Amino acid sequence: MFKTLLVGSSFAVLLAVVASGQAAGKAQPLPGLDATVTKVERAASASLRDCPPGTNTVNAVTRPGEQFALVTVSFKVSSSFKSAPMKRPTVTDTADKKYNTASTFVDVGSVPEYSCTFPFRVPEGTKLKSLQIESSSLDLSALEPK
Amino acid sequence: MEVDRRAFIASLGGVAAVNLMDHEAKAEALEHYMEEKLDEMVAGQQPEKFPTVAEIEAQITTRPYRRGAGDVFTGRGQNVKILEKMPDKPTLQDFFRLRFAPANHVLQSATRAMKTGMSEEIILACLLHDCVLSLIKPDHGWWGAQLFEPYIPEKSAFAIRYHQTLRFYADDDAGYEYPDQYYRIFGHDYQPPQYIADTYKMLKNHKWYMEPRLVTVNDLYAFDPNAKVSIEPFEDIIGRHFKQPKEGLGYDNSSSAHMWRTLARPDNPL
Repeated sequence: MFKTLLVGSSFAVLLAVVASGQAAGKAQPLPGLDATVTKVERAASASLRDCPPGTNTVNAVTRPGEQFALVTVSFKVSSSFKSAPMKRPTVTDTADKKYNTASTFVDVGSVPEYSCTFPFRVPEGTKLKSLQIESSSLDLSALEPK
Repeated sequence: MEVDRRAFIASLGGVAAVNLMDHEAKAEALEHYMEEKLDEMVAGQQPEKFPTVAEIEAQITTRPYRRGAGDVFTGRGQNVKILEKMPDKPTLQDFFRLRFAPANHVLQSATRAMKTGMSEEIILACLLHDCVLSLIKPDHGWWGAQLFEPYIPEKSAFAIRYHQTLRFYADDDAGYEYPDQYYRIFGHDYQPPQYIADTYKMLKNHKWYMEPRLVTVNDLYAFDPNAKVSIEPFEDIIGRHFKQPKEGLGYDNSSSAHMWRTLARPDNPL
């Protein structure tokens, strides 16, 4: 009995490790759409380009005490991807506060491979924990500047 | 922003290529070039120095026209061209072709609204929201709504009227950032006048707040020379929601007929 429980719980731990491994900066937010976080930076101004980058050339600048957290994500679209409107991504900081971006997904399946930088207006010094795209969560802590 | 003339001409393929372009194409190419340079500056994290309100006001006497003059009344530094005559019973599409053209900005905004799944009323509002800039620029939200109001759904007219106000106010939840272009054209120390602040206060509690907000979300400073935009994808929406008068725009005795006639004949002296 104890052995069965042990094996069962080990399997559960293994599943959890696999799941969190998938969330470590890499995920599949929708079937046929792979997303990998490649960079997290800070800047005083940011381009609000759509994702994939299109004709939107609006830029935004920060106010005192703020900065833009720029999260760059590379996307790969496979033939199984079915085009559908996607919600704007969000990020969560280490205190679990959520931040929005003004960058929007537009025509996600129109290009097979691309990279997008999502700007999030955050208070200076904010440390990010994760990026949410649809129901997927991608770990950002390893890419945050120490 | 300073423009390196040589680099700009080289980017277009040299002097010979530039000589083949008309003034409009050159102006658009310059705008595109400046936007690219701006993006590079953003990427390089070198903050742009925005003008002050006083610096912008100091430019007033450097122009032979006022900033608020509609596009059909100015040549953007060149002499104006002869405009093609409008048909006897002009339609909205005729105005797009002959008076609002190239209309890239509104066509790209409406295209984006369509791609992001907006309602037809919002797509129509995006398509029409800045068309009145051909006639007049100050208070273009109110002028634009007045121009189209007799012909379009109430929600679309509401969205056009108030997008002008909401442009000045960021909305994090809706995904709208105050655009740095406004620091450039109004000055970084600009404060919207009281009537705009009062209108914003009214809108915040209005049940249709999201209608003009969604226009601002899709209101892009877009210029892509390769973008293929046309009014064709919107023909059905126009057909369903724009009440084209049988007498033609300008001749139906509507409350804005005179505005359409002014657009049709901007060279009339009186």
